[in-house]
Amino acid sequence: MNLTVNWNIIAPILVIQLILLITALVSLYKTSATRGPKWMWIPIIIFVSIFGPVLYFVIGRKDA
Amino acid sequence: MRQTILFYRKEMLEMARNYKWIWVPLVFLLLGVMQPIMSYYMPEILQHAGNMPEGTVISMPTPTGGEVLAQTLSQYSVIGVLILVLSMMGMVASERQSGVASLIFAKPVSIVSYILAKWCSAITITAVSFLLGYAAAWYYTVQLIGPIQITHALAAGGVYLLWLCFVVSVTVLVSVGVSSTGGVAFVSLAFIALLSFISSLFAKVFMWSPSQLSGLAAEWLHYGESARPTFAILFTSIGSMALLLAVAMFIMRRKSPIGTHA
Amino acid sequence: MALLQVDRLSKIYQQHHAVQDISFSVEEGQCVALLGPNGAGKTTTINMLTGLIQPTSGGIHLYQQGTKVEDRRPYMGYLPQMPSFYSWMSGREFVCYAGQLHGLTRKEAEQRAAEWLQRVGLEEASRRKIGGYSGGMKQRLGFAQALIHRPKLLILDEPVSALDPVGRRDVLNLLRELQQETTILFSTHVLHDAEEICDQIIMMRDGRVAIQGQLDDIRDRYSEPVITVVAGNASNPQVKAWMTEISRKPYVLRSELQRESMTLTVSDLELAEREIWKDAMQHRIFIRRFEAGQSTLEDLFLKVVQS
Repeated sequence: MNLTVNWNIIAPILVIQLILLITALVSLYKTSATRGPKWMWIPIIIFVSIFGPVLYFVIGRKDA
Repeated sequence: MRQTILFYRKEMLEMARNYKWIWVPLVFLLLGVMQPIMSYYMPEILQHAGNMPEGTVISMPTPTGGEVLAQTLSQYSVIGVLILVLSMMGMVASERQSGVASLIFAKPVSIVSYILAKWCSAITITAVSFLLGYAAAWYYTVQLIGPIQITHALAAGGVYLLWLCFVVSVTVLVSVGVSSTGGVAFVSLAFIALLSFISSLFAKVFMWSPSQLSGLAAEWLHYGESARPTFAILFTSIGSMALLLAVAMFIMRRKSPIGTHA
Repeated sequence: MALLQVDRLSKIYQQHHAVQDISFSVEEGQCVALLGPNGAGKTTTINMLTGLIQPTSGGIHLYQQGTKVEDRRPYMGYLPQMPSFYSWMSGREFVCYAGQLHGLTRKEAEQRAAEWLQRVGLEEASRRKIGGYSGGMKQRLGFAQALIHRPKLLILDEPVSALDPVGRRDVLNLLRELQQETTILFSTHVLHDAEEICDQIIMMRDGRVAIQGQLDDIRDRYSEPVITVVAGNASNPQVKAWMTEISRKPYVLRSELQRESMTLTVSDLELAEREIWKDAMQHRIFIRRFEAGQSTLEDLFLKVVQS
């Protein structure tokens, strides 16, 4: 596999995903109650790209 | 008016505090950026997809700029709409569920202001998110794929935004009528999917339906023109949005703000 | 001068009559307790007063300087039983928002919010998010948001029932203070709370008003002479027979017999006392305790609730 990747093109996608991920983690840290155990959301947010953080924002918090 | 602004400011603050102002625009931005990049790398990705005999040459027509931007819009029609509905499903329903509505509606507040402010704030975040994502998609498409006529892109963007506003209006109405947030999401999405499906099935009857908006936008990007009755569609779309809001206000008035039937 | 007039108010949910045909009025400056067991229709009544639910029939009128007002809500402050707020707002922000919804300017609202938060003892927590407040703090915040516009009528639904003894004491003290400033109507299922601060009670049962009026009047009107007798040696079969016999005497209006004691509502306290002692001596019954007095409001309340 040697895909010629132009990092200038890909970088913005990675940056946006990173911001999304960090925002979700900050929110998770601050929130008082989550649906399901709090630690469970950490791998979901980190490893499921895009949809992990979105899922957390939509159904993760109890006091929306 | 004063009260509408007050409600609107509260909605804005709430969306900032619960990070909606960050995550919704970011997801739209991601969707916008990804489609042109995927199209750009598609030949290479296919080449490396394995299982191809040595020396296979894949020839596929290079898409035009307009086509790629239209593909972006079709991404928004699925994931974008889903995100919008999910992020707004609790708008009215959850305030009622939590009981805070009984504090608010014991005060001299107007239902018209309340609903209008909810709608305006939802439209604001939708417009900002979509325009951000669309602008990014446009930029990447021009950079990577090819040029697009500016007027076509602008017109298509405007028409598509109107479709998203229609989706928001549906969600506002359903959020007033259905008490559980999950129910709001389900009913709204089911209604929008059904409307799109039925109007593609009976295109003649649903010629003026708001669901033609997304098709209209796509055709403008593809061909720079459309055979659909543009003004009639715009007219019914704006009209039906006003109707949806009016019905939402009417139901809100009939249904007690604390959830028990009137 | 009547501030609030409730006229033949009813609320029917499908088959269930939650509130049936109740009428009462509240005078300016009064403190009225809506008293009754759970399910008596207190909350439904209050929800109709605040305009949160529409009555099936009947009228609610609020008077401002003698004239009936179109919209009651500007003149009322309301605190529900378990108030909930926007958990993402701070206490200050919410009270300020409430004030602005009542038509105050931002500046006025901020100033009054600070005053009320101090008065209910929340000034230190006022900048924290409501999401982290305890139940008692939310209750006090509820008071502040209900009072910020200086309402003519303050309506409270079970303001003390969910609180611990200390919180209860605080709220009752606050209510006693507020009584000087505004008219209060609150619901409770605890008679003691009503007696402590109110001058008027409306006792409800099964969606109807059972008894209403000035507390003192009710006490006078409904208190009856009562004698409680505790007989010794309960194993003696004669005791039981004697108690049954006494309960059938003409001066006994109502009786309640337990294993070794009886409570008698009598027509004439003096006569009854003499007769019972005489009878007991004749039958050689040993009386361990003898108590003659008046029935309390508590007895009346229990009678209304249980009948």
